[in-house]
Amino acid sequence: MSILNELAKSIEEGKLQEIKEQVSHALAEGLSAEEILEKGLMQGMDVVGKRFAAEDMFIPEVMLSARTMHEALLVLRPLLEQGDQNVKMKGKVLLGTVEGDIHDIGKSLVEMMFVANGFEVVDIGENISPQAFVDAIKEHKPDVVGLSALLTTTMPAMARTVEAISAAGLRDDGRLKVIVGGAPVTEEFAREINADYYGENALDGVEVVKQALAG
Amino acid sequence: MTYMTPKFVFSPAEQAVLKEKLFTLLEQKGVRMDHAAVVEILAGAGANVDGATKMVRFPRKLLEDLIGKIPKQVLLAARDPRFDLEIPRADGGFYVRTGTGAPGFLDPEDGEYHRTRIRDVATWAKLVGSLDHINFCAFPSPVDVPGKTADIHALREMLTYCPKHIWIQPYSGESIPYLFQLAELAAGGAAELGKRPLVSFITCSLTPLDYKYMDLEVIVQACRRGVPIHACSLPSAGGTAPVTMAGTVLLAAAEVMVLLAVAQAIQPGTPGIATPLIFSMDMLTGRSLQSSTEAIQGAAAAVNFIKTSFDIPVHTYGYGADSPDIDGQAQSERSLLSLMVALAGSDILGGAGQVEVATAISPLQLIVDNDLAGMVQQLRAGLSLSDETLAWNDLLNLQPGGHFLNNDHTLMHCRSAFKGRTFVRQSRETWLKKGQVDFLAKAKDIYDEIMAGEHAGLISQEVGQEMAGLVQTADRQLGV
Repeated sequence: MSILNELAKSIEEGKLQEIKEQVSHALAEGLSAEEILEKGLMQGMDVVGKRFAAEDMFIPEVMLSARTMHEALLVLRPLLEQGDQNVKMKGKVLLGTVEGDIHDIGKSLVEMMFVANGFEVVDIGENISPQAFVDAIKEHKPDVVGLSALLTTTMPAMARTVEAISAAGLRDDGRLKVIVGGAPVTEEFAREINADYYGENALDGVEVVKQALAG
Repeated sequence: MTYMTPKFVFSPAEQAVLKEKLFTLLEQKGVRMDHAAVVEILAGAGANVDGATKMVRFPRKLLEDLIGKIPKQVLLAARDPRFDLEIPRADGGFYVRTGTGAPGFLDPEDGEYHRTRIRDVATWAKLVGSLDHINFCAFPSPVDVPGKTADIHALREMLTYCPKHIWIQPYSGESIPYLFQLAELAAGGAAELGKRPLVSFITCSLTPLDYKYMDLEVIVQACRRGVPIHACSLPSAGGTAPVTMAGTVLLAAAEVMVLLAVAQAIQPGTPGIATPLIFSMDMLTGRSLQSSTEAIQGAAAAVNFIKTSFDIPVHTYGYGADSPDIDGQAQSERSLLSLMVALAGSDILGGAGQVEVATAISPLQLIVDNDLAGMVQQLRAGLSLSDETLAWNDLLNLQPGGHFLNNDHTLMHCRSAFKGRTFVRQSRETWLKKGQVDFLAKAKDIYDEIMAGEHAGLISQEVGQEMAGLVQTADRQLGV
């Protein structure tokens, strides 16, 4: 098995303890940080995504893979940021749980999956008012804003947040995409409140955003 | 009455271990509370409080004392006193509550799914008033009224049309005073509401071991008015609670007992009902499930543990399905769940009419659940044994090979068998000849019959105007 295939397999199998050493070994063998990321680690995450979609991997296993990816990035990121390795992040995602809702499990999972798939993530926390979302978007200028709600009773706050983002003119140029998700949220609800996208689960959300930004 | 103890429910020895762990967890680990006034009351009562972290730890003696003050009996009064609920029921049975907070509505009028509207809330209230085995009502979450006051609008509709007790789930801390004021208007004043609580409030932990301001404020306000609380924990095994159900049951029970203890610290004698609502997280999708095998086991175990260890009123989901539709799966799930928690000793079986893990309700399902409730009520009661029920005289006079159809004993008891109106018990041939009417078609007939009936508002014009004014004020004050 090639070094890159081994790295991909390690991500898939969640070899948390070994991955840093494997990445260092790959670098020592002369592979570039970009190659290691794109042709090794990301390939592993792609397999994880496919296996999860096929109900062949359980969420704790997926999370272990994502944590393994985070470990690998601890070694790679300084090299990638040196400039000679021109690997761009796939996009910037701003995440928050809407006003009145202080649940963070789903959002944390989504954050982990975005990071593991090469996105820069800004997590602005829980119980975030529509205005605070607007302010954070102006400050961080993300490509995508993700709204989370766990409670049926806080879904109206999600609608108010989307409305506030639109009213502030932040969607006028069509660049900023709004994606919503959470246990009671549906695709129909996403349409009703004028969100751009709906993510059924964390990995689905990542796939939807990948396609949106690619398109 | 003696409850059957299925194998999955903890043994007495295991329940004793669980009880010890509960006290140890709350004494050593404690919980976090985001309500300064409540924390101060608990500190005054003897709890160990860390002001910086907001952690509250309960010395065992304090917790035992507070738990000892929880009333064993609770009255959930109704607009129509014939529907008053005294817990525990004198006949050993249980009461049934409808699903709460659902934003989805499976409409019998057109067979379609849509978002819940305020008119659906009225439909729900009218149905509950007409179904014998549905004893009190929670409101779904309407989307065609201002979001910040949806709970206030929904309660007004409930108080107008539902003659039975109403459970209130506030959607925000700001709406709590308005909800109480509406209830007071319906009751005829604050003192009357205290004497005959027409409403009760749900208050929840934020699992694991966290308590947010709104839910603690619900307790403060309820204690002030003598209104009962349903002390609720909603753990999801594998997500917000241990993946192994024993740990989830322990966590749920501990969180519930803290809420009830808080109420007793504020106002001893405040009526409270332990309400563990157990979920399990589907490790393939992340969805929380309420009728998985594990969740059903957890619900039954939590009910049985709290009931036998603390001898207080207990409430959990008895209905509901993970299925998104009122299909065969939905009927299987609710049948298994209701029977298990009923046999475990629950005083209230909640969630009637709900599907899709409590995010949608169906009037037709509610009508079917009414039948299931009647059936399970009888199953839990067991069989009585006497010479009369043995038909002892008839047996002694029996001619071998004869029959019982002509016996006076048979005549006397032939109407006592439970008959669900929605159940189909015809031969296939008869069923085909009569148009293949299935249980949902029968439920639709019952629905049409109920909705065609008289449903005059239950409040006077004067009170109605006051309520309308209050709702308008809420809309204005809460920034709608």
